[in-house]
Amino acid sequence: MSESLKATLSPWLRLLARRPRRLAIGVLLLVVTVFSAVGLLALSGWFIAASALTGIALAMGLAASLDVYVPGGGIRFFAVSRTVARYLERLYNHDTVLRLLADLRGRLFGAMARLDDRSLARQRSSDWLNRLTADIDTLDSLYLRLLAPPAVALVAVVLVAAFLALWVPAAGLAVAALLLPTWVWLTAGQARLGMAASRRQVGHLQRLRSQAIEYLTGLAELEAYGSRAWHRRGFRQREDALRRDQRRTGRLAAFGTALVNLMVGLGMVATLWLAAAAWQQEAIGGPILVMLPLAVFAIGEALALLPAAFTQLGATRGAAERLNAVERASESVPEGGNVELPAGALSLRLEAVSLHYPGALAPALRNIAFELMPGERLALSGASGAGKSSVAALLTRRLPPSQGVIILADVPLEQVDERSLRERVAILGQRIDLFQGSLATNLRLAAPEASESRLWQALAAVDLAQWAESLPHGLATRVGEGGRALSGGQARRLALARLMLRDPGLVILDEPFAGLDADTVARLSPRLDQWLQGRSVLYLVHQLDGGGFEPPGITRERRLEQGELTVCAKSEYPSG
Amino acid sequence: MRDARSASSPRQWLAAHAVGQRRWLGLAAMAGVAVGVLTIIQMALLAWIVSRLLVVGDSLAALTWAFLSLIAVLVVRALCQWGQEVAGQEASLRIRDAIRGELLEHLAAMGPVRAGARHSGALANQLVEQVEALDGYFARFLPQLRLSVIVPLLILLVVVWLDWLAALFLLLSAPLIPLFMALVGMGAERLNREQFAAVSRLSGHFLDRVRGIATLQLFHQTREAGEEVHEAADRYRRLSMRTLRVAFLSSAVLEFFASVAIAVVAIYVGFGLLGYIEFGPADELTLFSGLLILLLAPEFFQPLRTLAQHYHDRAAALGAADGMLALLAEPVRRVEGSAALPSADERLVSLEGVTLSHPGRGRVLGPLSVEVAAGETLVVTGPSGAGKSALLQLLAGFVAPDEGARRTQAGLTFAWMDQRPVLIHGSLAENLRLAAPEASEADLQRALERAGLAELVASLPHGLETPLGERGSGLSGGQAQRLALARIFLSDASLVLLDEPTASLDEASEARVIESLTRLVEEGRSLVIATHHPALMAMASRRLELDAGAIKAQATGVPLHE
Repeated sequence: MSESLKATLSPWLRLLARRPRRLAIGVLLLVVTVFSAVGLLALSGWFIAASALTGIALAMGLAASLDVYVPGGGIRFFAVSRTVARYLERLYNHDTVLRLLADLRGRLFGAMARLDDRSLARQRSSDWLNRLTADIDTLDSLYLRLLAPPAVALVAVVLVAAFLALWVPAAGLAVAALLLPTWVWLTAGQARLGMAASRRQVGHLQRLRSQAIEYLTGLAELEAYGSRAWHRRGFRQREDALRRDQRRTGRLAAFGTALVNLMVGLGMVATLWLAAAAWQQEAIGGPILVMLPLAVFAIGEALALLPAAFTQLGATRGAAERLNAVERASESVPEGGNVELPAGALSLRLEAVSLHYPGALAPALRNIAFELMPGERLALSGASGAGKSSVAALLTRRLPPSQGVIILADVPLEQVDERSLRERVAILGQRIDLFQGSLATNLRLAAPEASESRLWQALAAVDLAQWAESLPHGLATRVGEGGRALSGGQARRLALARLMLRDPGLVILDEPFAGLDADTVARLSPRLDQWLQGRSVLYLVHQLDGGGFEPPGITRERRLEQGELTVCAKSEYPSG
Repeated sequence: MRDARSASSPRQWLAAHAVGQRRWLGLAAMAGVAVGVLTIIQMALLAWIVSRLLVVGDSLAALTWAFLSLIAVLVVRALCQWGQEVAGQEASLRIRDAIRGELLEHLAAMGPVRAGARHSGALANQLVEQVEALDGYFARFLPQLRLSVIVPLLILLVVVWLDWLAALFLLLSAPLIPLFMALVGMGAERLNREQFAAVSRLSGHFLDRVRGIATLQLFHQTREAGEEVHEAADRYRRLSMRTLRVAFLSSAVLEFFASVAIAVVAIYVGFGLLGYIEFGPADELTLFSGLLILLLAPEFFQPLRTLAQHYHDRAAALGAADGMLALLAEPVRRVEGSAALPSADERLVSLEGVTLSHPGRGRVLGPLSVEVAAGETLVVTGPSGAGKSALLQLLAGFVAPDEGARRTQAGLTFAWMDQRPVLIHGSLAENLRLAAPEASEADLQRALERAGLAELVASLPHGLETPLGERGSGLSGGQAQRLALARIFLSDASLVLLDEPTASLDEASEARVIESLTRLVEEGRSLVIATHHPALMAMASRRLELDAGAIKAQATGVPLHE
């Protein structure tokens, strides 16, 4: 977790470096803004002092003159350039950052999409959400808050000190001696002191968010058991921890802000003192004496952004670390091969396959071997936890076997082309994922080009067409988050309809009729039977009882008990 | 605190919350005023030193005390600045806490059905990120709002005393600023609200896609979904840029006026000192007064500039508050008006002529009347979508009926289990204790045994302390269901509401669960079970068959159709 700051941030810095022109223009606009502010104040001070001295000389009857047009014009120019540069700079830099963010989001989702079941199961989905949105949003501070401002501030300090040194070398040195250490403190010092607390804050917010989701999705049970207050206590403890850390970083940032003003003020006082000494030795003129401290004064603006940004460096670092972890995990997942699967029903052979989840005591599957001939329908039965879902995960290449080989249509599974595998092997799992969006969008996941009439056919096959017709919006009806607007049985049938829009050669059905009533099953079963003709089928079921809930056309049964295939008395199943 | 809920606009609602922390906010403003006064003193000392040096010709040594005073002023000013920020932060921390509490309470009052119908990701975003988005408004904007009136006025008074014509320049440009800002701000606020809605939709979109990422992989649709994600983010960028173009414009207008005013004052003072200006107080200008006016001119605008920088905090807060008020305006469950059932009564809970509709789906249940008597086992059957879950939710009081009434015995306790049991991020023990926080280890073990999970837990290296992932990842569907059952056994509820309790259990586990459920019946608890499973139906002491939200048949003891 604690890789070096540089190693953590470097992938993102490289990503930034891909847009050198945009970044350079952004910094340039920032520099113009700061120097317009310095110029405006310094030139005005010079002009007023020069006018006053000229005025005094004139009043004393001495011959004196002052060119008022050049400084006057300069003052007006700086007034306008400060405004324009600032507006353009902010707009331009924000656009740069948001462009980058859109790229980052897409890229991270792509990385996540390559993860297999093992890595996915390790994450909580609200954490994923946080990674996608908040972490990437936090990384925007990389350029706009953590790279450009310190660079601009450093340029400002060095150039102003150099400018002072042109007239009064000691003043230049004094300002550099005061403000360069301040700059170091504001960046490195604030970052160091704020690191732990600001890094924790991201974690607190993340936990708060998932606790909020728990609270919301679990309201029913929490209310029934009267444990709302109990859950709230946990929530409150997290809030307290967050508040402690926010208070700490807030006070630190406030200290930084106060320090900026104090040090810039001291720099100005020192400059005034040294310039006055130089003036008394007639090394510089009176107007210059006024101009120099005012130039120092304007640096404050360039330093003002640093304390808050660097106190929160830990948040940026934490975000970058989590994003790096996702990318690394996705890189370790092997890609498929490039062998295409043939058309028609597929054969399947498992040879001595074992699966051991990391950290688990016993292997989930031990020495599994069975064969499925094209067009056969094998029922793999077993209690929950016996390993049926693990078999499904292996066959769909969601997990690699720890030992043994899986041969699909005479091709080792790992050599099968990814697209071909997804097209030719279909699965209806225990968990149904429906997506926010319409019925049609959810169906078209399986067949993006499908016409409306094909969708209606699929719905009719699972006995949902009549229901869908009765809805005011028909196929455009939205199914809600995770299909919440549908009943459990409707969601399952919709998922089955989605499957039937494809043309797989191997179909894996995990309890296809779970949660459906007997009448619906009686209507559905023959249609499913018909669609399964000419495909190889693997049913995953708890128990075969020969009743109406049994999936259609089973030719053979194997039983799975605690990860092992048992010798089945009735392995040839009477058909019908 | 004034009742924040009676506030009609987001601004009033936020203001009502600010009143609760007026002491910290007041402290922040006072420290800010002190900073303003010290700034004036600092500038006056600076101008005075310059004028003593250049005009009077004092030696540096004679001015040492002035330099030392200047340093002292700088130090005190920095302290006040720190105090201002810290006090503002403290107020903001406290207010955000209060607001989060208010929202959570309201969601609880809405009930599991109505609150559960909303997208949990978007709601969580509202409870966490959007409440955090109020920070700038309370910590910085509100204190600065007072400063932006007081400090410029103080400076103006000083400048009037120095040169009323210069003060007039400042005065003339100042009122234009709020005017422009108001115009620009109005647009920015609307855009900001849109942006908040967009952020909310965006995170809902993400959570949805990420939750189903395995399905997307299986359908080989991840590339398309990834493009969709990129597209959604880019839409968000375009929307943001629209907001920012306007938001930045308001501060640009301010910067422009501030810069121009400084330039005008500088040129006026310069020309006045040269004696080019023949009218007004210009001929009385000295280097001291002229320089002080120039130094104070930027400070005159500084509070307003700072306010403008925090203006987006205000817009963000108003946008967030708008969504929060919309949530707070959602009706809470009607409080039971009808009297509790008499304790001598057989009935634990009764629904009398109730109906229920869901937005967008129309009426899902009723009108019907159902009673549950102590000790009975009522099995509710019917095709999927017939309203079984709705009936259970009404019995539980998770949603108030549109018509009719629900009456319960006083102090009725009940347990609940549905098709998606909640699994919290934490250990198995914590997940069980959700039903009974005070339960002992032995209680937990007993409950696990009854639910048929004891063996599994005993085989785990960390036993009850084994951590669970979200939605019970690590547990199979059947195991999660049995964990939820264990909770019921752990509670002392006299009424147990079960929605498809054995939907994903194999026969052996189902038999075990039914055995345990029978034990619950023997203990005298009442069960209401919505199910399709024949074995569970056989437990019924009474059966109720629903069809399209109405009671189709009712029978005692015997099955309905054989």
